[in-house]
Amino acid sequence: MDASQAALLAKVQPAELHEQALVTNDRDFNWVTDKICRIVETKTPTWWWVCMAVALMTASFTGVGLLWLVSTGVGVWGLANPINWGWAIVNFVFWIGIGHAGTLISAVLCLLKQGWRTSINRAAEAMTIFAVVCAGIFPLFHVGRVWFAWWLFPIPNSNAIWPQFRSPLEWDVFAVSTYGTVSVLFWYMGMIPDLGVLRDRAMQRLSKGAYEGAGLLAKGMDVFRKNFYAIFAMGWRNAGNHWRNYEMAYLILAGISTPLVLSVHTIVSFDFALAVLPGWHTTIFPPYFVAGAIFSGFGMVLTLMLPLRALYGLHDLITQRHIDNMCKICLGTGSIVGYAYIMEFFIAWYGANPYESFAFINRAFGQYWWAYVMMFSCNVFTPQLFWFKKVRANAALVWVMSIFINVGMWFERFVITVTSLANDFLPSSWGYYSPTMVDILTFFGTFGLFSVLFLLFLRFLPLMPIAEVKFVMPAADPHGHHGDEKGDHH
Amino acid sequence: MNNSEFSGPRYWKSLDSLAETPAFKDWVEREFPAGASEMEGVNRRQFMKVMAASFGLAGLGMAGCRRPEQTILPYSKQPENVIPGIPVYYTSSQPGARDNVPVIIETHTGRPTKVEGNPSYKPYGGATSVYTQASILDLYDPDRATKSSLTPSAVRDRLAEISKASAADKGKGLVFLAEPSTSPSRATLVAQIKKTFPEATWTEYTPVDQSASEQAAKAVFGSTLRALPDFSKAKRVLSLDADFIHSSDSAIGLARAFTKTRKVKDSKDAKKMSRLYSVESALTLTGSMADHRLRLSSSQMGAFIAQVGAVVLEKKHVAGPLAAELKKAGASLKVDASWVDECAADLADHAGHSIIVAGEHLSQSVHAIVIALNDALAAPVKYVAVPDAAAGIEATVARLNKGDVKTLVVLGGNPVYDAPVDLEFGTALAKAEESIFISGIINETSEAASLLIARSHYLESWGDGRTFDGTLVPVQPMIEPLFPTFNDLEVLARLAGADTTDPYAIAQATFKAEGGKAFSKFLSDGLLEGSEFKAVNAKVAPATVVAALNIDELKAFELSASQLEVRYAPSSHAGDGRFANNGWMMECPDPITKLTWDNAILISPRLAKELEEQQGIQIFPSKKPMNKDSEFFEGAKGTLQNNKAEFKRGKEHAVVAELTINGRKIKAPIHVVPGMANYTVVLPLGMGREVVGRVGAGVGFNAYSVRSSDAMGCALGGALQLTSEKFYLANTQEHWSMEGRAIVREATAKHYAEKPDFATKMGVESHAPANYGKDDDKTLQEKSTGQFRGNSAYDHPSFAKPAPNVKVWKDNEDKFPAVQQWGMAIDMNSCTGCTACVVACQSENNTPIVGKDQSLRGREMHWMRIDRYFAAEEYDQTEVPEDVQVSFMGMMCQHCENAPCEQVCPVNATVHDNQGLNTMAYNRCVGTRYCANNCPYKVRRFNFFDWNKREIGQVYKGPLGKVDEPELQKMQKNPNVTVRMRGVMEKCTYCTQRIESAKIEQKRLAGASADIAIKDGAIKTACQQVCPTDAITFGDISDANSEVSKMKASDRNYSVLGYLNARPRTTYLARLRNPNPKMPKAYKKPYSYTQYDKRYGHGSVAGHGADAHGADHGAAAHDDSHSTEAHPAH
Repeated sequence: MDASQAALLAKVQPAELHEQALVTNDRDFNWVTDKICRIVETKTPTWWWVCMAVALMTASFTGVGLLWLVSTGVGVWGLANPINWGWAIVNFVFWIGIGHAGTLISAVLCLLKQGWRTSINRAAEAMTIFAVVCAGIFPLFHVGRVWFAWWLFPIPNSNAIWPQFRSPLEWDVFAVSTYGTVSVLFWYMGMIPDLGVLRDRAMQRLSKGAYEGAGLLAKGMDVFRKNFYAIFAMGWRNAGNHWRNYEMAYLILAGISTPLVLSVHTIVSFDFALAVLPGWHTTIFPPYFVAGAIFSGFGMVLTLMLPLRALYGLHDLITQRHIDNMCKICLGTGSIVGYAYIMEFFIAWYGANPYESFAFINRAFGQYWWAYVMMFSCNVFTPQLFWFKKVRANAALVWVMSIFINVGMWFERFVITVTSLANDFLPSSWGYYSPTMVDILTFFGTFGLFSVLFLLFLRFLPLMPIAEVKFVMPAADPHGHHGDEKGDHH
Repeated sequence: MNNSEFSGPRYWKSLDSLAETPAFKDWVEREFPAGASEMEGVNRRQFMKVMAASFGLAGLGMAGCRRPEQTILPYSKQPENVIPGIPVYYTSSQPGARDNVPVIIETHTGRPTKVEGNPSYKPYGGATSVYTQASILDLYDPDRATKSSLTPSAVRDRLAEISKASAADKGKGLVFLAEPSTSPSRATLVAQIKKTFPEATWTEYTPVDQSASEQAAKAVFGSTLRALPDFSKAKRVLSLDADFIHSSDSAIGLARAFTKTRKVKDSKDAKKMSRLYSVESALTLTGSMADHRLRLSSSQMGAFIAQVGAVVLEKKHVAGPLAAELKKAGASLKVDASWVDECAADLADHAGHSIIVAGEHLSQSVHAIVIALNDALAAPVKYVAVPDAAAGIEATVARLNKGDVKTLVVLGGNPVYDAPVDLEFGTALAKAEESIFISGIINETSEAASLLIARSHYLESWGDGRTFDGTLVPVQPMIEPLFPTFNDLEVLARLAGADTTDPYAIAQATFKAEGGKAFSKFLSDGLLEGSEFKAVNAKVAPATVVAALNIDELKAFELSASQLEVRYAPSSHAGDGRFANNGWMMECPDPITKLTWDNAILISPRLAKELEEQQGIQIFPSKKPMNKDSEFFEGAKGTLQNNKAEFKRGKEHAVVAELTINGRKIKAPIHVVPGMANYTVVLPLGMGREVVGRVGAGVGFNAYSVRSSDAMGCALGGALQLTSEKFYLANTQEHWSMEGRAIVREATAKHYAEKPDFATKMGVESHAPANYGKDDDKTLQEKSTGQFRGNSAYDHPSFAKPAPNVKVWKDNEDKFPAVQQWGMAIDMNSCTGCTACVVACQSENNTPIVGKDQSLRGREMHWMRIDRYFAAEEYDQTEVPEDVQVSFMGMMCQHCENAPCEQVCPVNATVHDNQGLNTMAYNRCVGTRYCANNCPYKVRRFNFFDWNKREIGQVYKGPLGKVDEPELQKMQKNPNVTVRMRGVMEKCTYCTQRIESAKIEQKRLAGASADIAIKDGAIKTACQQVCPTDAITFGDISDANSEVSKMKASDRNYSVLGYLNARPRTTYLARLRNPNPKMPKAYKKPYSYTQYDKRYGHGSVAGHGADAHGADHGAAAHDDSHSTEAHPAH
């Protein structure tokens, strides 16, 4: 290499890779803190009250449905021989699937150092917990004698017998309760610094004492906040050792949670995969269920975050880059799910078991063909549109498609659960399943319950981890945010 | 009050009491209303009790925590022969019009709980019909006639008055209309009545009369003779529209004898199998058993039998006027001549061993020909003399219409509902000055009659009767009448003015008169040996046969879609109507249609298609993607047929049609049944009762409303008009095809003789590795005791060795033989599909009924069901075939050793015990229903509601509904079987309570000896006990000499879905059919086998290269029977 070349090279500037910033518009730290805290601190918006009222009413359907169910018998649902599991189990798997995105975002993306997780992880975790709550209702109440459901826990009881540890339902109990517990811990722990911020802000306002007349209510609220957040902030003082411990604990919890992302839905899939029924008895289920769960989870995150972004004007925090990334995950997992659908057919054919091949042909073309069509089109075709940047950039369209994904994933669980049961080994027993009004209302009521919980979360808890958002801000980068200079100064 | 229930000295409370004056008795009855009024509603005391309790708890708001209060009534004096907890068995018999079924009744502390056949009566071998099983429920029917319209004493007074008045005018105004009865005691009383009141009219009527053959015999022989065919000697049978296996009188005995000729031990036996030809208008169980079946309308049977007769007589070289007459008579029918010729030739070739039977709804001429032909064939048929039939209902109506009837006594039955419609019996009845109706059920006639006398159930009555062959059997009461009801005999005796009115004394006197010696032995045996009718030497003179023929009756009519033949047959649910309020019968699926709770107009697929075309109303469902005409997806073509009737969301959505016959119209849903004669429609009788209890209310349609006296069996000239209305029919089986799966495995006798192992070479297991691996060749005994048995919650003891707790008695281990291993084998070659087992199981195991609405949803609770599959010659999954072969399979818990249900239960509620039973611990069950999902046989049943505590139709009301378990219904419950609550799963237990009582009994017998192993045959499960054909065998499979082990050793033995490696303890013996190769449509393999071969077996090409595994199971595989068929691509 001669000198001229070297000189030339020195002039060459590498093309700047324009990765969109995770917080746009050159916002400063203060703005972020203010933006997030004000959601909780300002007067409750009218739309919140309207939504809450609607959500409560919807949730009451679940309440009434369950009351009737428990007081009367499981027969108020549409179940019958041979379809002994219907909407309840479908809904359970559906909600548990939705719960997947939260942990994935907080744990897996944390370990993978994906900075874009920060502005969505809190809401996604909340979604996870509320989805697990909704999910848990179904397996609990679908049993014939719900007052004895605690027998599934290994607690000494009058029957003097352990639960059956070989039953996938038993594994479900452990898997779901572990998942629920860890998710709550993770969520709560991540929130501690922010709770501290909220507490401090309330204390500041109180010490300023700028309340007059109508401000009395605001003062009362701040007193409440001061105490409420103080309790839950557990004495957070923003000290260096606090942060060190916090980071370590967060990392450990992320480590613990990561396998759970895989285990929960794997175990849920065992409910089916370990049975002998054609259409259930298959080894492809664990990966296929996990992929499907992440798929539906991100679908739900999109469904929730896009309206929130619009309502609270969070465009600078939830940027197009976030949406792009989530769309791409949907595209990836949706394709895995589509591959699994096709692979099932291949295996059924390749396995040369007449019962198996019938089960799959029946799924697609039998009496429930419409459910299969719903599932396939929503889950396989919809995400393929995410290949196009234009589609991803259209928030309204993305939102509609995220709903399709949720619908499709519900139908996937319906197809798996119901079609396999309806037409199994002995044609003499074949049947047909139709839900009753109680089934339908109980399910729709859980959306109400979910919304109630989510609205409460919005109103009382910080929507995003303030500190973590700040970490990924350009302002947090001591080297300036417009392209590192070759990155050789570490 | 009856004083006989008191033992010890009698006391009287007042002079009135001593004198038993009517006023005193009335007072007693009002004060302590026996039975009914206490059962129904709330009486004052109960009301006060409930109110007091409610007030007491009102403040606490804890009404839900109240413990159910129950009154315990200890014995103040232990009754003799009653040990609480130990059932006592008594003999009796279920009265029938022509056949009393000998039974043994199980009673628990005085409550009859279960009916079983009396094995002392050899022809029935301890079996009963489904109706006999269900009859016990009528005793506890809360809607039965619980009291007469007068007080008991007033009834007695009234009867005495009538008797006195009639004696004065010699019974001029007295007319009797009775159900036919076999009771000799009643016959004696009737004779006495006729003697005392010479002017009185005695008539008898039953809506389903089965005496056409006896009338024909009277024409041929000159005296009323009953034919008793001995099917056990038959090699060839031709059944002419006769359902002798299921619905004719003494069908239990006939089916039993016939299936004896179909028991095949091994392939060498196959040749000995009998052959059944069946010519039928409707699809019956007899037709399902047939090796060759011809669809032919009832009105064409005359010409058909004439054609057969002509050939038979020709073969037997009997010329003469009869042969000529038959040739002439047969000419009016066009039917496949080779069918007639070959069938007749086969019968003639086996003369001495061939029998022809004809349905009792056919004309006398047909029966006359059958008598002549059986004579020509030297058929093993015995004739016995029976009493002449009494005058029929026409005579009653004639007397009533004359207007001089003072007293009409209707003894049982329900003529207002079931009399021929043209007689207008209801109107005629009103013309009698007084009408007395003696009935155990509230029905249309009891509404119309001026005086109802409540009749005791047969389990509350003394009496007697005869079986079909004349054997004298007792009718013994098991329980003091639950209500103040009357016995038939008592009423008749009082009317006759007899000195003895006590039924017990009457029955005893009759027994003496019949030549009986020891009455107590008679009662304990349940029959009088040697009392059957004596055979008479009946010789057929051809001339009298010719004279008995009515050529018009033999003429075959041309039928078409607008000129239908309408057949009336008793419904499988209500019989002739008497079981219309019997929940077990209503919910017991019809053996062929699998309909519950309703009857429907049964029509053939051809007729359905023609009606669809003509009237433009859709009967069959629309073509769907998986139809054979599918252009949607090649791979899906014909893989799933649509169901034969329109099933919408799993419910049969039947088109309602209006049937017009002789100017009368009836509207009812239609149900398409394959195998019906094209233009015959069947109207099942006995449903649609208007005055009926809670169970029968609004169920079915009343076919009697179009049935006239000139066409009681079948009527001609019917027409069907489809309407746009739809009606839900509760069908328990939605899918008729086996889909080519090797579930019911069948072969022809010839095929079996050549390839004895065909049954084990079918299904996926013939392609899969051996279930037991290298242990596959071990004997059944070694497998049952030495193999790992999956899925027990507990330690696995060594099954072959004494139980672990025996170590306490270390030196006495020989006293504890190995645990017996239970198993079951079902011989599908014997099973006729009669469903008696279904109701027997229900009766034994306290299985609730769920009602029509819940049956429609598929929540029926039967622990045992009979799967019925149709297979057609052409493998076409989309069309309902016209000709079918029917296969039955009794399906209940298979007691798998590796039970798929057990490993998925999270709470260990279903586990294996060391006897190999898959047991249900109801108390542990929380009701996840995972077990039911994972059961490949779908035999588990879930209590979706509190069936036992809620009335039908009230289940959805939850806590707001009435919690009501009528006291009466509780009395039927078997105390040895838990009554299940809502939310738990249940299923067949192999009658574990019977196993346990057999163990206790054996231990008692063993005493100090070590002989505590239960003897083979000592346990009979309820389904096995009732089976007329001994198709079910149960016993210890660890004992190589047990009957069940021998059955399982058969090469026809196989496990359903064996490839799943669930290792069921219940296995099946493949069915054999015995076609005549010379017949038209003689099949080399049963249709279901051909279907299997084509679709999944070796006939198909997909994935089964012949060279890949041809060597090890070539046997059934590469038969030539289907090689010419095109193989559909997979």
